[in-house]
Amino acid sequence: MQDKQIEFIVQKVMEQLQKQFPAAPETVTPEPVTETTGLFFTEEDWQTSIPKPVYQEGTSELTSSTPARIGVWRAGTRPLTKTMLKLQFDHAAAIDAVGGEVLEKTLQEFDLFTVETCYENKEVYLKRPDKGRVLTDAAVQTIKEKCMHRPQVQIVVSDGLSASAVETNLKDVYPALLDSLKINNLTPGTPFFVKGGRVACMDHIGEILEPEVLVLLIGERPGLVSASSLSAYMCYRPRKGIVESDRNVISNIHPLGTPPIEAGAHIGTVLRKMLEQKLSGVKLEL
Amino acid sequence: MTREVIKSVGIDIGTSTTKLIMSELTLGRVSSHFALPHFEIIDRQVTYESDIISTPLKSEDEIHLQSLINWLQREYNRMGVSLPDIKSGAVIITGETAIKKNADAILHYLAERSGDFVVAIAGASLEGVLAGRGSGAYERSKTQRGVVANVDIGGGTANVVLFQQGKVLETITFHVGGRLVEISSEGEILAVSPSLRPWLDYKGISLKNGMSLSLEQFREVSKQLCHDMLGCLAGKTSIAALQCLVHSSSCETLPEIHEVVISGGVGRLTHELPPARLPEVAIYNDIGPLLASELMEALKRYPFHVAAAAQTTRATVIGAGMQSTKISGATISIQPDQLPLRNIPVVKVQVSQSGQEKQLELEFLKGKELYADHDSLPFAISLGGLPYMPYQQLKELACIFGTLYTRLFPSASVLVVICENDMAKALGQLLRLYSVSAIDVICIDQIVIDHGDYIDIGEPLHDTMVPVVVKTLAFS
Repeated sequence: MQDKQIEFIVQKVMEQLQKQFPAAPETVTPEPVTETTGLFFTEEDWQTSIPKPVYQEGTSELTSSTPARIGVWRAGTRPLTKTMLKLQFDHAAAIDAVGGEVLEKTLQEFDLFTVETCYENKEVYLKRPDKGRVLTDAAVQTIKEKCMHRPQVQIVVSDGLSASAVETNLKDVYPALLDSLKINNLTPGTPFFVKGGRVACMDHIGEILEPEVLVLLIGERPGLVSASSLSAYMCYRPRKGIVESDRNVISNIHPLGTPPIEAGAHIGTVLRKMLEQKLSGVKLEL
Repeated sequence: MTREVIKSVGIDIGTSTTKLIMSELTLGRVSSHFALPHFEIIDRQVTYESDIISTPLKSEDEIHLQSLINWLQREYNRMGVSLPDIKSGAVIITGETAIKKNADAILHYLAERSGDFVVAIAGASLEGVLAGRGSGAYERSKTQRGVVANVDIGGGTANVVLFQQGKVLETITFHVGGRLVEISSEGEILAVSPSLRPWLDYKGISLKNGMSLSLEQFREVSKQLCHDMLGCLAGKTSIAALQCLVHSSSCETLPEIHEVVISGGVGRLTHELPPARLPEVAIYNDIGPLLASELMEALKRYPFHVAAAAQTTRATVIGAGMQSTKISGATISIQPDQLPLRNIPVVKVQVSQSGQEKQLELEFLKGKELYADHDSLPFAISLGGLPYMPYQQLKELACIFGTLYTRLFPSASVLVVICENDMAKALGQLLRLYSVSAIDVICIDQIVIDHGDYIDIGEPLHDTMVPVVVKTLAFS
């Protein structure tokens, strides 16, 4: 009997509610079909912020001054799920950048042929940095055959620790770099791509081709802010025995860091100054 | 280069007084050595302050140019500097002096003869901003949460600027100044400035030359002047309702002000004892001292916190000398023999994805209409804060720019582009290689500038950057 009563009461209540809050007419507009397949998240979708900051101007000033995860709010004493997911997402992107490979299509677009260092495979590459500094015998042979010897400017591109850095930025940095050579009246040799390269592979290439100056565009160790950051290392007469202080670098090149187009356009100026002063590194007057 | 010191001069020709300062601006690299070079002015020091002289007048509405030149020469000799030493600076003509009939001519004459890159600036709003930067109000606002107003009261006008967190919010200028009523030590009115007339009429106060007033009567006038101005700043009276006292304003309603800094000649007088007798009021033959003491009295009845100014009389001249020069980005594209360029009007263009060419042509044509008479350089093109642009897209933009510019201005010999974002070197090389190879290109960045502003671009510093002065007032 009790069950029946309860049922009755529930029914009554529901009727009352329906009268008070009539259900919206069932005219759900279908979601507009977009061309996208799967889920796409933009940076904005990930953004979280302090719900009611006591001092809005102060917080926005701080958050806009850094890409670091500050002012992202919390659940109890812990980060929000969204913040945690984003952190894991960025971490995964960093791992992917190290493990990834530059697409052949990208290299073809810029007429770059590929040679390898003695890195063997990604695992060895990470454990033995020294192997990434030396080209294979086959590579030496190839560049001897294909490249202009003793060029004024040798351009080398390498995946380094981030293949996605090359994928993301080469299309802007590379043409800007070529134009900056033109405007500074510099002549490039034959550019190529080095797979599994470390910064100091410049020295080995320098021994073989003897360029006056060399610029290496190489993927940087990925971080949690950007997994596709590129560096441009530059050196006057690179050769074995060069020390780090003899190299110049423009780092953090990616769309949210050092602007790729501006970095590319500036490389020509740095190279011209190296040629004028016949040196590079910390002694170079920029 | 990591550091470079440049000398910068400031000259302020005001309603009642004229003064100059010499300063040293230290340029320093603020970016790491792994990044693109970026320089800023990292230190500003005043190295010389001239005496404050009365602005020499030839007649009621004309400034005595020769006296000014002689004075300038004497001061430069005393400092032992020669013109080529002075790399930047500004001459500003302020308050009521700006409406003298030879003001413009004098300003440009002096600017061209006081250093390598000294620019002429004027305008109540700019004057207010520079005074606020010189008085220390700007620096204060960076450490405060609320709005800091700098009220710079000189002889002819009170220039008010509102800062928040180091940003300029609004400016407003009142016809309130110490020299608007000139009096003798017996209380006889010697002159009343025409700019004060509308307010006097509105208040029904009769002040005429030759009339003699008592100390109390002068006090009452000063008191009402101060209350009307402060009432407007506090939002009690709307700006529209006080048109008779407002010279110009950047907005219709002011935001809430938390703190007030008083600078200018009258600002200095607020630190003196209130005048007790008429001869004490008339030490400068005007009502300045009385205005100052009444202002301090009146301020007690408003909810503003009054903060001390670091500089009073010299606030504007210090602002003009030390704060008017900005430094462009250090990766830019310039052809040095075209520099310096002075007083270039600015046309700001909108860059969008579609219909680019049509839209840009319209904006170029509008600029052509406004600045048709400048043949070799009609105007500078300003690009606002654009989202990051791929090189290919930038190349298309450069080509459109070049084609339009050379077609619409066939006699132009130089193209000037000013970008907000760090992109000038890339855009500049594109313009030179693919677009306007026949004429010179000056493409600079990291300068925020608006439609209708004017810009002066100086000779390059260390080959890599240029000093610029952005001016918000048009000159004929």
